[in-house]
Formats: sequence, structure tokens, C-alpha cells
Amino acid sequence: MSTTVHIEAIVNGREHALDVAANHTLLDVIRDQLGLTGTKECCVVGECGACTVVVDGTPMNSCLMLAVEIDGRNVTSVEGLATDGRLDALQQGFLDLSAPQCGFCIPGQLMSAHALLQDNPDPTIDDVHEALGGNLCRCAGYLQITEAVLAAAKAGKE
Amino acid sequence: MKEFSYERPESLDEALRVLAASGSGAEVLAGGTDLVIAMRNRWREPKVVVDLKRIAELYPALVWADETVTLSAAATMTQVVHDEGINKHFPALAEAASAVGSVQIRNRATLVGNICNGSPAADSAPPLLAHDAVVVVAGPNGMRRVPIDDFIVGPGRTDLHEGEIGFALDLTVPSRPVGAAYERMTRRKGTDLASVTLCATVDDVGVTRIAFGSVGPRAWLRSDATGVLADPDAPADSKAAILEEVFADASPSVRSMRASPDYRNAMLRVLGARAVERAIVRLQELQGVS
Amino acid sequence: MTINGPVGTSPNRVGGRDRVTGAQQYVADIHLVDELHAKLVKIDVSRARIISIDTTKAEQVSGVRLILTPDDLPRPMPRFGPQYADRPVLAVGTVNYHGEPVAAVAAETKEAAEEAAALVEVEYEALPGVFSIDAALDSDAPLVQDPSVRPGETFADSNIKTEFNFGWGDIAAVEGEADCVIEREYEFPMITHFAIEPHAFIATLDGDELSVWSTIQHPFQLQKTLAKLLDIPLSKLRIFAPDPGGGFGGKQHPKLEPLVCYMALKAGRPVRLVMSLEETFQAVRRPSTRVRVRLGLSLDGTLVFSDIETNYLIGAYVDIADRVASKSSYVAAGPYKVPVVKIIGRTILSNTTPTTAFRGFGVPQITWARESTLDEAALELGIDRLDIRRRNLAGRGDEFVPGDTPADGDWIQTVERAAELVGWRTPMPEGRGRGIALGLKSGPTTGLSYSTVRLLADGSALVISGTSDMGQGARTVFAQIVAQEMGISIDRVNVLMGDTAIVPYDQQTSASRSTVLMGTSIHRACKDIHAKVRTMASRLYGVAENLIEVDGGTVRIAGEDHPIVEVVQESMAPLGGEVIGNGEMRKDKEPDHPLAGSAAFFEFNCTAIEAEVDPETGEIEIIKHITVGDVGTALNPQQVQGQDDGAAIMGLGHTLMEVLILDDEGRTRNLGAIDYRIPTSKDLPIALISESIENHDGPGPYGVKGVSEGSLLCTAPAVGSAVRDATGLIIRDLPLTPQRVWEAMKEQA
Repeated sequence: MSTTVHIEAIVNGREHALDVAANHTLLDVIRDQLGLTGTKECCVVGECGACTVVVDGTPMNSCLMLAVEIDGRNVTSVEGLATDGRLDALQQGFLDLSAPQCGFCIPGQLMSAHALLQDNPDPTIDDVHEALGGNLCRCAGYLQITEAVLAAAKAGKE
Repeated sequence: MKEFSYERPESLDEALRVLAASGSGAEVLAGGTDLVIAMRNRWREPKVVVDLKRIAELYPALVWADETVTLSAAATMTQVVHDEGINKHFPALAEAASAVGSVQIRNRATLVGNICNGSPAADSAPPLLAHDAVVVVAGPNGMRRVPIDDFIVGPGRTDLHEGEIGFALDLTVPSRPVGAAYERMTRRKGTDLASVTLCATVDDVGVTRIAFGSVGPRAWLRSDATGVLADPDAPADSKAAILEEVFADASPSVRSMRASPDYRNAMLRVLGARAVERAIVRLQELQGVS
Repeated sequence: MTINGPVGTSPNRVGGRDRVTGAQQYVADIHLVDELHAKLVKIDVSRARIISIDTTKAEQVSGVRLILTPDDLPRPMPRFGPQYADRPVLAVGTVNYHGEPVAAVAAETKEAAEEAAALVEVEYEALPGVFSIDAALDSDAPLVQDPSVRPGETFADSNIKTEFNFGWGDIAAVEGEADCVIEREYEFPMITHFAIEPHAFIATLDGDELSVWSTIQHPFQLQKTLAKLLDIPLSKLRIFAPDPGGGFGGKQHPKLEPLVCYMALKAGRPVRLVMSLEETFQAVRRPSTRVRVRLGLSLDGTLVFSDIETNYLIGAYVDIADRVASKSSYVAAGPYKVPVVKIIGRTILSNTTPTTAFRGFGVPQITWARESTLDEAALELGIDRLDIRRRNLAGRGDEFVPGDTPADGDWIQTVERAAELVGWRTPMPEGRGRGIALGLKSGPTTGLSYSTVRLLADGSALVISGTSDMGQGARTVFAQIVAQEMGISIDRVNVLMGDTAIVPYDQQTSASRSTVLMGTSIHRACKDIHAKVRTMASRLYGVAENLIEVDGGTVRIAGEDHPIVEVVQESMAPLGGEVIGNGEMRKDKEPDHPLAGSAAFFEFNCTAIEAEVDPETGEIEIIKHITVGDVGTALNPQQVQGQDDGAAIMGLGHTLMEVLILDDEGRTRNLGAIDYRIPTSKDLPIALISESIENHDGPGPYGVKGVSEGSLLCTAPAVGSAVRDATGLIIRDLPLTPQRVWEAMKEQA
């Protein structure tokens, strides 16, 4: 292998074959190479969660992953939540409950919440706080974000 | 970060060969939560990064055989947190693992990586020390087993030699009943690095062990065989006197911006006492006593 | 009052959809063809004389196209700033704070720019600097700004920038009347905004038109600054201001846009600069303060006088600090009727990050000192802390600052509601404490907001407004107003912002002004449309204009109601068209006023806390956090709640965990997210309740006042008060970290 690696991955349901620099993070590649700018860059030390994506069902900080590591894997970013332009229950819940303020942390919050609900469709408020504990929001819309996740969980059960 | 060559060996042999060929220019990659930051800051500038995650021998990452659990270099903190056996037999380890970072970090950070990184504040160190974990090291001359207390050397320093890989951690359920508890002190309730991290175990013959970190160049294991700490009815000040001895070697850094030495020393004693009490309760639960 | 329509409800946030799909384009998401990536060159020192800059090695890096140094800029070095043109585009001669840019690289890739920036060799001589109030005021202190850049200033030979004197009456004359005089000093630390979106800028020259993208909150001020610096007419200078990913004041004023523009002009290609989070910590912060409060009271707790001295440590360049100091000091005595008041406010330069606006604009710092001292007075007098406030609280219409805007609300209702929600008069569980505090901030004192509303042929509408929506929901509120006034569904209203070439002038988005000032402007634009619709209706129905009424979404002619949209559509049937309404809201300067204008409204808040303190570790648990604000009208209750909850939690941040740590050489040690702690979802109070008192008594449309800063004005003193109540500890600095509380417990023992 060398300093550039050929990888194949499924991103938001679509197959991609691309050459990535070994020293580029998944965040770099997702934003700059794949043009999916929904995932955000902020602290780049794995503290803020703005870069959260879901890889094979598991939420991770894309700023701390090398892009090559998604070879053969399935990645979902915020752009992959809606289907044919139809918002999913989580996105709709966030909208209905006015969860996004400035919106910058929201893609990360959504991905953590998405992974939570896949794993635990009936979370408690503490479960939500724990699952989203690695997603900083300076607007501090935590209460409404939490409500939105719980509302989406409820909607999913009905 | 600087350019490097990326290798993804699929067997242990292949990995060891690549490491041997790269000499000091190689770094191994598991979860990346330490290495990627280090590379981005140029604190580490490897020419070759060896990704361990496709090495077949590392899977399954978490295996129970009789009374021993083997966690390979691929075992993440999340796996530790959710494993039924670990929660039953090593609840302090599960507690420590669940305190490491956020969900996103725990999904990537590995237990073996945490120990090999060698931070004096590593949260996994106290419970592993208190439970006599053994590090399985793979090298060009085969496997060797190193007791965790010997494996941890100093800040950023372990017993890993060039060309070796931290392959797995073995933990054996103690033959006698043991209650264990983990405590840490942070600046906020949310994810944070600990300014004090410790684990206490109490067994049914009155031996108490306390392993503690973030208050010196490495985490330490001490024990009290007097039975005083383990005695639920012993008065607080006699316990405090023992704890003074337990923590005598603590030397928290004056340069740390996370907490002052005075506070750390005080919290060692406070959390040490609390951890011992919780360990006693856990032991009593194990013994069917309340 | 009846409002038929979306005002007073919480329709989905306009622009919300893009925020939940990832489609929202923040500045860092925007890429221009042929762009170059910029990286700042900084040196690891707080103050130094720059001897030389050697770019030879850096130029060798493949992909580097430009390395800008002071030699590439006009002489003398261009300077700018919202109050004083003191900030150089690049450090020249000396570096005056840790992180001040000395050069900048532009390259084809981010990596090349980073690598080259690390290879620029700056030879410098470290110089002693001042990093604290005491050091800055020392008679031997080195001067942060040379007197030659401060011509004619009273304090030019010191590090004091400006001194403000406010107040009324004569303290000496009434001093003897006070039964109790208490004097205390409280400190507020250096903290930073930590918006999740780091500042970002792009500049490109297209022919003779310069386009700039910025995370700026005040696009028109940026436009004016750049036009002046670069000598480009406003008509050829276009600022694109996408919604910032959090501003909180840290993105109000120009910082690196001038540098990026010079780079783009020199390179002949677009240049983009995205700051790292660490760089933003070096670029923006809140003034840290030492505030001395001396209160004189009667035995029954009535205030006889307030004597307050506020000292703000403002960093190496003034930015907006004089305004922060003057505006907050002016109301330092608080929402109380105080017969005699003396206030001295002082801004003090230091070799630290220049301060800028930050939610609360100086008021949280003063309120921490004042409310805490009032508590200490209550303790001494044996008076309940709620009662002492009720006794002194200004009532509606009281000129609590004589000759100025009177109290514009029934503030007692806010106070009583907060007290009720925290259970002030109920027995307290063992081991807990309660605290209560009041916060008051002046809204905008001047303002100018233009807006245009275009009612289109199919009855949908465009609102064109220069406000910056950085999360407070301005776009939604404006859409609600237009939907209400045009009688159309909010789904049919689109709001255009953030482009100075399209959007008419708005002075700024700050001081919680937008709903009131821009809201009024938009409301007037709607009224302008109503007037035009009246004319159309008159022509359409052949009825005299004075017999036609237009209100809300309805045209009333001879007792019959017609929806505006119907009238408009019928009138336009032959040729098409649209109805354009323009609105202006102007609050002019009052030249004799110390703040150049009286407050349009006040933000008034009462925060009440119930807390528990772990006696062994010093950890504080907030059991109940109550925040109540006097809002006039909540145009969008959900958004108001979001702002209030958010501000409350941000207040807990500076109360419990936030502080920038400097080393002995004035360099910030905890840059970045690992060691600068802000509240996470696991740091919330057990119960956080925010409520609004709505008396529809604000100056804005539908009786609205401004919101969004209130809930963090008095968080710190309320928590401090609860901690004192629970433990007897009196701590006069922040943050109240577990260690800090523990240290206080040790001292007490």
C-alpha cells in the first residue's frame, strides 16, 4: 500500500470508488472529496461531535478516522437521513420542536440520535443525554434537542 | 499531517513483518483517538501507519474461556461497556470504560490502545491493575505475557519494544469473591479527562487493593492487608490513616491545568474512601449479604 | 389582545429544513473555483518585537502561491476597528497578543498552506507584557499601545484606554445616612465564545467588484470597513453573510476579512481562510473584570447609595470594548431605585486576546458583582434576599436612571414568578441552598433597519432584511409578521438575508434588537403595502380610499372583507406585477446622551437557583434553575424558550466551568476543546424552567421586546447565592469549579 489508497465504500446508500490520501481524515474526504458538506469541522480532537457520522451502524467522530478506514464499509452522513427528499422522523421532530438554533451542531446531533434509535428505539431521557453527550451545542439547545429525539422515538413506536 | 504509507495486514505475521521492516518509523493504528491527534499535531510523524483492524487473529475481539476474558487489540471501550461477563465479574472495568470520552470515542478507542498509549491518566489502568490483568505482547520472537504492573512504566512509556504489538489483555475472574468499584474526578459531569482515576477492590479475607492514576508518572497499585479498609464497621479516621499510607507516593504535577496537587491529593482520599465503601457493598452483594 | 395568525404561535423555523438535512451552506461549506487556501503565521509569544520575516523556505513548498507580510501592505499599515482604527491588518513592528497574525500563506491546498506557514521563519525579540489588571495598571508597566497611536487621549501614557463617569447625586452627602455600608470586590474571568462554527472568510475580486463571504454578524459594518480600507465604492463591494453557526457577539466585527481581501487582491484569485477552533479562542473573548461595589443601605434594606467601579481588561486592541464598558457600566446600579449613584468604568489594555462583544455585553460581569454584594448586604442586615430586591425594585415608569428610559415593565411579576417557581417561601430540603438574582440590560440605543417586503402576484411574499439569523430565529419571526399582516400562510413567505447587494441597510444584529427594530421596519413595510393595496382596492372597486380599511390580511370595503391576496391578484390580472413595501426603523443618536441614545427597551431577568454542594468534593448540583424574563410578547414561544434555555445553560458555563488559563507569559494554555469546558447534555440542571412574562408592553410589533441575552445576565450571582446559602461559603471569583469550591471550604475551616 502507499500514500494514496484506493477504497470502495457505500456512502448514503451509494457506491463510491475513490482514491484517498492516506493522511486525509474521513472528515476531509467526506467534505472535500465527496462534497458532502453537511458533516461539520470544529474541534478536530474528537470532543465536539460536529463531525459525527455513522459507520456500519456505529456513530464515530470522522475527524479522528483516516478516510481509508471506511474501505468496504457503509457510511451514513446527515445527507443520508432523508429519503427522496422526505425527512425522516428524527429530522421532522427536530423541526417541529425547534431544536436547531444556529444549526451547526445539528448534523452531528442527528447522527448520534439516529444511531441511538436504531439501537434503542425506546430510550430514556438519560439514554438520550448519554448518547448525545459527545455532541456539543453552544446555543445549548439541549432541552429541545432531547425532546425532539424522544418525540421521534415515540413517533417510531406508533 | 505529514504523508505516510498505510498498511493493512490481514494476519499477525504480516503485521509483525511490516513493523520489523519499518523499524522506528511505524505506528500502529487501532481506534486512532490518540494517534490521529498526535499525527495532526506532528507530535508523532510515522512513515508507516499499520492498521491492526484487519488482523484475523484479533477476532472475536472479546472472548470468554472458563474464567478468563481475552480482549484483543481490536476490542473497543463500547464492547467492554456492554459485555455481560465484564459487567458481572469486572464491574469496575465497565465503569471505567464507560467514562472514557463520549459514545463516539468509545466506539473507536480500544482498551489495549488505552494501555499502550501510556498516559498516566488512562482510565483503564486502575481497574486493570486492581484485577491483575496480563498484557499479551506479540513480537518477532513469539508471544510473551507481561503483568500489567510491569507493563506500565511511565508517562507514554510501556514495556512494548520496537516491532512488538500489544496483542491482547487477559483478565481472570478471581478465585475468591471480590467487590470492586471505580471512581474518578472531573471538572464537569460531561465527558472529561480525569484529574483522579481510581479503582478499589475488597476481597472476602479483608484485603483491599487500590489502584490510582493521574497523580504521578504512572498509575500505581497498592494494597492494605490490615483488614481495616475492608471492614464496613471500621471508623472513618482509622480508614483515613490507612489511606494516607496507600496514597503516600502520589505526586500530582504542579504544572497541570486540570487540577491542583492539593485538590488531587484530597480527592484521592475522598474518592478512595468512597470506592472502598462501594466495593464493600458489591462484595456483600456477591456473598448474598446486605 | 387577539392575534389571528402565526404571531404568538411557534411555526416551524424558517430555514430549519436546511439545518436538518445538511443542505445549509455555512461559509466553510462554500467553495469557489480556483480558490487558494490560507493559513495564518503566528509566533508563540504574547509580546515581541518583530525583527525579520524570512519566507524563503516556505516559498519552496509546492503549491504555495503567496506569502503576505507587512511589506506587501500599504504603509503606514492599514488599521481598522469599530470604535478606534487601532487593529493592524497584520502585526507590524510588534506582536501584541498571543496569536496575533504576523503573516499569511495562500496555497493550492490546505496541507501546503499549513506546511508553508510552519516554515515561515520569524525572528523576534520577546518583550515583557501585561496580562492582568494589576500588571497593566502598574506604574512601570510597558504600554500595550504606543502613545503615538493614541493622539489626544487623556490616558495615552498608561494602559487605561478610557474612563467613564456616570451617576447622579452626591455620595459624600448621603454617606452618613446609611446604616450599613458594605464594600466588596468581585472578579469575572477571561472566557471565549466557542461558537461551534469557527470564523471563516472568503474574498474574491471579479473585475472591479470585490465579493467577500464572512461569518460576520454585521455585514453592513464589514462592508463599510472594507470599503474604507481598500478604497472601493460600496456599490462594488458585496458581502455575503450566510447564517453564522453561532455568533454570540464574537462575529459582530471585522477581524481577518481585511487580511483575506488583501491576499485575494494580491493573488488575483479567490482566497479562503477557515480558522481552527484554537485560533478562534485566540481571536475573541469576553472582557474579564474586577468590579468593586460599595452599597449604602438603611436597616430595612433600602438602598441609599451605590458606588461602583468597573475595570475591564480588554486586550491589545479595543474592538468594541469601550462600548461594552460604557453601556454596561451605565446601568451598573441595576433595576433598582437608588437615590445616589456613582459609577466609574474603565477599559484597560493588555497583551491578551482583544475582547469583543459577547452575549450580555458586559452586564453579566457587573451583575455578578452587584447582585452578590447586595446578597452580602442582605446577610449582614438579616433581610431575606428576595425581600431586599422587592423593596428596591423599580416599578413601571420609574426613571431608575434619572432622565433616561424609565422601567418599561412590571418587573415585580417576573421576580415573583421566579420566586414562586423555585419555591422560595417553601421549606428547603436539608443540605441545599437557594439563590435569586436580577439582571438588567439595555436594548439598543441607536438603530437603523431598512427592509423590503415584496408581495408577489400569487400572494406569496419575499421579505428582504439585513438581520443575521445565527440561531435566534430572526428569519422565522419576520416571516410570521409578514404572514400575519398579509393574511397568508407562513409557508408562502420566503426571507432573503445576508447579501449586501440585494438587501437594504441594517446597522447590525446585536443587543437583542432584531425583533424590535427590524421587526418594526418589516411591520412598516407591511403597512406600506397596505397603503398601496388600499389604492388598488379603490381602483378595483371604484370606492374612495378613505372608505377602505386594510388591516392584518384583510381589506374591508363597505362592511365586506376581502383577503388582501384576492385584491392584489385581481388588480394584477391584466399585467402581472407585485406590490413592494419599504420600511424604515430609525432610532437616532441623541448627541447629549452619554451612550448616544437611550435604551429602546430593557431586557429584565430574574434567575432563581436551588443547589446542593458536595461537602467533600466541592461539586455543585443544580437541582432547580429558574429563569423568567419580561419579554413583552413572545412572537414565537418555542424560539424564545430555546433562546432562554440556551442562554441559561451558557450562563452555567461561565459560572461553573469556563476559564481561559494563561501561563506566566500571557499565552493561553487551554486552547481548544479538550481543556476548555463548556456544558454538555450531561451538565444540565436537574430541572431547568424558563418562562416569559408577557404584558404586550414592548415597543416592537405586537408589543414585543428583545430577548436572548436575559437568561445569562444573572446566572452566576444566583448560583453563587445558592452556594452561599447551602454552605456559608462566599466566593468572589469564577468559575465555581469543584476545586474552587473545595478551596473555599478549606479556607473556611
